[in-house]
Amino acid sequence: MTETALEAIGISKRFGGVQAVADLSFAVPAGSITALIGPNGAGKTTVFNLVTNLFLPDAGEVRFYGDSLRDRTPGEIAALGLLRTFQTARIFPGMTALENLLAGAHRQVHFGAAWQMLWLPPALREEASLRRRGEALLDLVGLSRFRDVAATSLPMGAQKLVEVCRAVMAGPRLLLLDEPAAGLNDTETAELAALLRAVRDIGIPILVVEHNMSLVMNVADQVIVLDLGHLLARGTPLEIQHDRRVIDAYLGVEQEAV
Amino acid sequence: MDQFAQIIVGGVLQGGVFAIVALGITLVYRVTGIINLVQGGFCILGALCLYSFQSDLGWPLPLAFLAAVVATTALGALLGAATFVPALARLPNSSMLMLTAGLLTFINGLALVVWGSQPYAVEAFTGEQPVNVLGILVPSQGFWIAGITLIIILGIWYLMTRTTLGKAVVACAENPTAARFMGIDVARLTLFSFALAALIGAIGGAAVAPILSLQFDGGSFFTNAGFIAVALGGMSSLPGAIAGGLFLGIAEQLAAGYVSSLFANGLALALLLATLLWRPQGLFVAGRARRHDVRDELRVARSVIRPGARTVSVAALVLFLFLAALPYLVDPGFMSSLVITLILFIAVLGLDVLMGYAGQVSLGQAGFMALGGYTAAILATNYGVTPLVGTLAGMGLSLICALLLSVVTMQLKGAYLALATLTFGLLIDSLTVGLTGVTGGPSGLVGIPSFALGPFVFATPQEMYYLVLAIIVLLLVILTGGMRSGFGRALQAIRADQTAAAALGINVPRHKMAAFAICAMLASLSGSLFAFDFHFLSPEMVSTPRSFELIAMLVIGGEATLVGGLSGAALITLLPILFQPIALYKTMAEGAILVLAFQYLPDGMLGGLWRLIARSAAATPAIADGTVAERPSS
Ligand SMILES: Nc1ncnc2c1ncn2[C@@H]1O[C@H](COP(=O)(O)OP(=O)(O)O)[C@@H](O)[C@H]1O
Ligand SMILES: [Mg+2]
Repeated sequence: MTETALEAIGISKRFGGVQAVADLSFAVPAGSITALIGPNGAGKTTVFNLVTNLFLPDAGEVRFYGDSLRDRTPGEIAALGLLRTFQTARIFPGMTALENLLAGAHRQVHFGAAWQMLWLPPALREEASLRRRGEALLDLVGLSRFRDVAATSLPMGAQKLVEVCRAVMAGPRLLLLDEPAAGLNDTETAELAALLRAVRDIGIPILVVEHNMSLVMNVADQVIVLDLGHLLARGTPLEIQHDRRVIDAYLGVEQEAV
Repeated sequence: MDQFAQIIVGGVLQGGVFAIVALGITLVYRVTGIINLVQGGFCILGALCLYSFQSDLGWPLPLAFLAAVVATTALGALLGAATFVPALARLPNSSMLMLTAGLLTFINGLALVVWGSQPYAVEAFTGEQPVNVLGILVPSQGFWIAGITLIIILGIWYLMTRTTLGKAVVACAENPTAARFMGIDVARLTLFSFALAALIGAIGGAAVAPILSLQFDGGSFFTNAGFIAVALGGMSSLPGAIAGGLFLGIAEQLAAGYVSSLFANGLALALLLATLLWRPQGLFVAGRARRHDVRDELRVARSVIRPGARTVSVAALVLFLFLAALPYLVDPGFMSSLVITLILFIAVLGLDVLMGYAGQVSLGQAGFMALGGYTAAILATNYGVTPLVGTLAGMGLSLICALLLSVVTMQLKGAYLALATLTFGLLIDSLTVGLTGVTGGPSGLVGIPSFALGPFVFATPQEMYYLVLAIIVLLLVILTGGMRSGFGRALQAIRADQTAAAALGINVPRHKMAAFAICAMLASLSGSLFAFDFHFLSPEMVSTPRSFELIAMLVIGGEATLVGGLSGAALITLLPILFQPIALYKTMAEGAILVLAFQYLPDGMLGGLWRLIARSAAATPAIADGTVAERPSS
């Protein structure tokens, strides 16, 4: 039996008249990529907000490697290693692409302000190694040439990749990605897929919300389908592709549109 | 009982004045979400214009009054159209707050140029004879003030509730974006509210002119009182502004009547500090319709020109050699000004960590200078403590104050730290003036010894210069180490986007607190050195205008550059000394430079310089918006 990275138990959230998430339970196994799909407004982003306590759930509980996340602030949850990206890229303006990545590495900094201010060798070595990691990551997603460019001046697709890389730099124990491929062109999507697989292969599980079906089918080990806040189906990409209810609710429409 | 009634009458009158200023501030706040510190400047301009038209030109009162109000309002509309409104579209709230502080400095300086520094008195509108109402003597001007206040309140009430314009203001206050979609021209409305605030300020200022002694910097007094009233009453509520003004006026008069006037001032500020810390939504308003967050989304991208490590090393070496050789290059009489420049630069360095990197605003940097300066000076002068220990004691005290201030404000978004630090600075101002027995009062503390380290005494400007230079080099090495690595990046991430920073596991409150602590301790160090250098310390050397000056130095020099502030400090300190004739224009120029720098020089002089170097050296191709980045090679 594989370890469970994240477990949601009966979480619900209502906004006024809208039941955005209804009594939803799911699990994200460690060491794998889980995709969360569903039509617009299905409640996917809300699930992320509930998991990271940006909104407090009306009911239910979320466990992260067995620890309850109840009563923790978003900052504390991030500090535990549950990192997320936002649907609209939230790149830090006024910083270069590499600096954005390094800011993400905050959790990895063990020699803090005092060490850095005194230029002590351990802090210098740590900084140098973080830089190397950041540069390697930018290389992996084909953004090396943007390394020292203002991150906010990059094309939208590149910004989203930078945001994903920034979260990866944090050395997460689970990565939540909200529509990382939105706005990416085909090359960039391919690079994203490579990145996601690389991240999984170094042992970081991923929960990814995505509309791009070919990407989902390509990288996901498990797919969770959400509709109107309810769990509609769960299975391997192959099973989901042939699930009648999913095709009716979602995939059919999508495929016609394509 | 009689005395009590008399005091209450005095309190209501004074409160009416505060309420008028507060109304102006609230009006602009409701439309823009900006605390408009320039408001008091319009009051003093109205009052001084009234004096000039009446006494110098000999115009009759009604004509002089009208002309004073028209002239002030016109200037207000002009300043609004040229600075406030265009800046609002581009600058974040914190910068806007400082821009209005710059405008206030500009008006103070303008008044100094036009009216000089002597006090003026205006005759009461209808004779000086007080009126006896049921045994209570009410100054005749009191009826004018009460009447005019009432007319202003009714006028605003009518405007807000009965006219389309007023409804547009309300819509804008609730949601500017939605208002724009509804076809409301937000920019014009902003200008309208700004000019209307100037009008109210001018009328109020002219009305109270006869009961005050008018001086060029009276605008700061009005702004402080109005700002305290607004913060007490609840930021965005018009009735709250009136209630806050009256409450403040009565409380001050009671304290002054029964205790002392020093106590009155300190009490008001302590009251405000307590309010900001424990009930930030104000005393009189249940936390409704706070509009802080509306504009917080505006994130300003700063240029990301990163000069390479070699460029930086060479530039740093050249700068160091230049500074080290400077005493041999300049006239000895000039040395003491250079020392002051360097000492002030230490305070600017601290401000850069807080403002430039972490994006938090402190308007009370001079308060910490005063804390450090007076603590060290008093300990060294009266208790024989060594200067070094005195300096460290000052820094410790500043650290404690900074932590106390930040414990609560750091949890809140918006302008609370700025407001709390401004209040802190004003409180320290009133203490340094008032605690005559301890601080020497307005005439200052004399006989402060020279700084000394063991047997080494730093008595001459030359010796002091090298001491401060050594401290600065040390500080620059330390701060560069911190800012170039994880700590500095965490601060910049917080400045850029708090939510995203927290989502990366950055402990936002703790980092803000660390930045504030560094900022306060460096100000304290600077204040101590200031005292040991001058052998003298008086309140106005380290009072609130100095806080604004330090901000100007930082912004002009270049934020988040550490060393940039040196050029700002040098410019503002040395130019008036180099060109004596312009000394009179110093305050005005400071204000103007600050405002212009915010609008046209977002990266300061140093940023502009890097930009030029990077552009001319354009080895790297320009990408997208022309931002060029050199390769850092560390
Ligand atoms: N902050 C909010 N306030 C009110 N309603 C919200 C909020 N966030 C989401 N909703 C509603 O919840 C539902 C689910 O939204 P969301 O989680 O964003 O969907 P998805 O990400 O799957 O497209 C939608 O009907 C949306 O309108
Ligand atoms: Mg969504």
